[in-house]
Amino acid sequence: MKLYEFEGKSLFRKAGIPTPDGITVRNGDQEMSGLDKLCFPLAVKSQVLRGGRGKAGGIKFAETREDLMSCVNELFAMDIGGEKVTKILIEEKLSIDSEFYAGITFDPKALTPLLIISDQGGVDIEQVAASDPDKVIQYHIDPIDPPKFFDLMNLVLETGVTGKKMVQISRVLVGLVNCFFKFNAITAEINPLIIATNGNAIAADAKFDIDDSALYRLPEINSFHRGKEDIQDPLEQAATDAGVSYVSLGNGNIGLIAGGAGVGMATMDMVFEYGGEPVNFLDLGGSATPKKTADALKIVLSTPGVEGIFINVFGGINNCEEMAQGISDVIDELNPVQQITVKMRGHSQDEGWAILEAKNIPLIKFGTTEEGVKLLLDEMEKKGVKSRVNTH
Amino acid sequence: MSILINKDTRVIIQGITGKQGQYHASKMLEYNVKVVGGVSPGKAGNNVFGIPVFDTVAQAKKHTRVDATMILVPPAGALMAALEAYASKIPLVIVITEHIPFHDAMIIRRMGIKENIRVLGPNTIGVISPGESKIGVMPGFIYSKGKVGIISRSGTLTHEIASNMTYKGIGQSSCVCVGGDMCKNLNFIDILKLFRNDDQTESVVMIGEIGGAGEEIAAQYIKEYGYPKKVIAYIAGSRAPEEKKMGHAGAIISNGIGTAKSKLDTLEDAGVIVARRMDEIMANLL
Repeated sequence: MKLYEFEGKSLFRKAGIPTPDGITVRNGDQEMSGLDKLCFPLAVKSQVLRGGRGKAGGIKFAETREDLMSCVNELFAMDIGGEKVTKILIEEKLSIDSEFYAGITFDPKALTPLLIISDQGGVDIEQVAASDPDKVIQYHIDPIDPPKFFDLMNLVLETGVTGKKMVQISRVLVGLVNCFFKFNAITAEINPLIIATNGNAIAADAKFDIDDSALYRLPEINSFHRGKEDIQDPLEQAATDAGVSYVSLGNGNIGLIAGGAGVGMATMDMVFEYGGEPVNFLDLGGSATPKKTADALKIVLSTPGVEGIFINVFGGINNCEEMAQGISDVIDELNPVQQITVKMRGHSQDEGWAILEAKNIPLIKFGTTEEGVKLLLDEMEKKGVKSRVNTH
Repeated sequence: MSILINKDTRVIIQGITGKQGQYHASKMLEYNVKVVGGVSPGKAGNNVFGIPVFDTVAQAKKHTRVDATMILVPPAGALMAALEAYASKIPLVIVITEHIPFHDAMIIRRMGIKENIRVLGPNTIGVISPGESKIGVMPGFIYSKGKVGIISRSGTLTHEIASNMTYKGIGQSSCVCVGGDMCKNLNFIDILKLFRNDDQTESVVMIGEIGGAGEEIAAQYIKEYGYPKKVIAYIAGSRAPEEKKMGHAGAIISNGIGTAKSKLDTLEDAGVIVARRMDEIMANLL
């Protein structure tokens, strides 16, 4: 779960990391409570979960109250990379001495958290790493023995920063390491970490990606209110609620349901390979009861543009009979016009096959995923539906 | 000889009294696996299909020799279950559970390395040496004994490819699922090293997917040290959009890292036979 900047900054403050004084305004708010406690000039920052906010013009500065009103109105009218701006963070503008970078993320190679710091803050750290690798200091964190204040001071000294600044930055790093572990982050980043002209270190931005699997034990994160306006894709949300994993793929007409992420991706690849255009990816996951299977099928049936659906599942951790029952229930309930084909084998396969055969669903028992994809495309064409739209 | 497990492997199941635990215990017994105990706190003295249940791993170990444990407990309990198995020095720990908090998975990995214990997973279907034994949740009858070793990140792709091989008369030595999470223990390189010295295995099929760097690290190993057996690789997700988690927590292309292309190119450069479609794997084995 990605956090908004204002949410991330509230976690920073709990961990003792200073942030600028500010208030959050939501679209439709009648007043900006707390505004009179802030001193102009102000930074007016759109709150979006996607990157590229600065380049898209999502951050503005206001010298006066009139300025502020026009900035707020302009930002609420914007969308950034397709994401509508519904919240704005208004903060006191900082007087900057220098900008630092600090971030912790998971290193997919070493399979351990990686702390990255640099005295070249405020820009894309990947660009700094590419153009000026000496300016990027990396430190692999041992999850059972995280770095302490003195370790972090030694690290900051490597950047060439000394004195009070070095101590200030190291204190912030202690807080960042604590945040990473306490809030079960996959990524926690401060860019830029500002050294103000008075010598204080202040987190000017906050980027968090929190592990979805740990949300059950994170009351601080669950207290962040997420409303309708925060839902990016209603079908992805419906899938999350149903306990399945769904990704919208675009404008195709082939709906997909797979048992397992790997089979799901391979099926998607093969639909493209044979000239079809998948509209979604869906991984049913484990514990596929009849209801869960039915919910997944209903979500795909309701995906705009779907004219055919390929269900490619195994009775491994799941059971063929239960999944087939879910499919059969949807057919009884909705009598869908879309062509459905199924490939299914594994635990309780005979029982599952019998249920599907009773509904006259074209079935692959012993064939490959490739054969299953071709069967769906052929069945759709028999019905006069164009299924092979890509020629390559 | 197969790798990791064989017909003599004595296994316990942590979480045996749950719905999943009972179901898969029965399937393992049907496959003639030596399931010598189960663990479920507070349920000692009971049995599941005749398998004795113990309160703790240490109690089970006191009662009988244990070579491996299968962890099939809910995500919130998986870290403690793994640490309990480590404390009893069970040499092979197989963590089936999916959706384990990522920070718990990091500790499972780190402590496994520290205690020098082989850990498969998390988020794996386990391992099967067809005709010998299986520790996992795979349907045994779609696998068959033979000479091809399989290493995979995906459970159901292992089912798919192994069953397609079985229907074509190609058997497997051992099929090892290293798991779909970002942070895991045994990886492609570790299983490649085991297959290298396994007489039964004549060729190896690697089933990778987008995200992470396990496939690239394996390719680097093959390139550096050579590999005496035929290796065929398939990567799922070549058409996946970036920055989207594709079902598995570890299947995400992030900042351009972990694309199917990068993996396929690196593997091809190491001399691995690359299959662009799954049926090309079969074509290269026949």
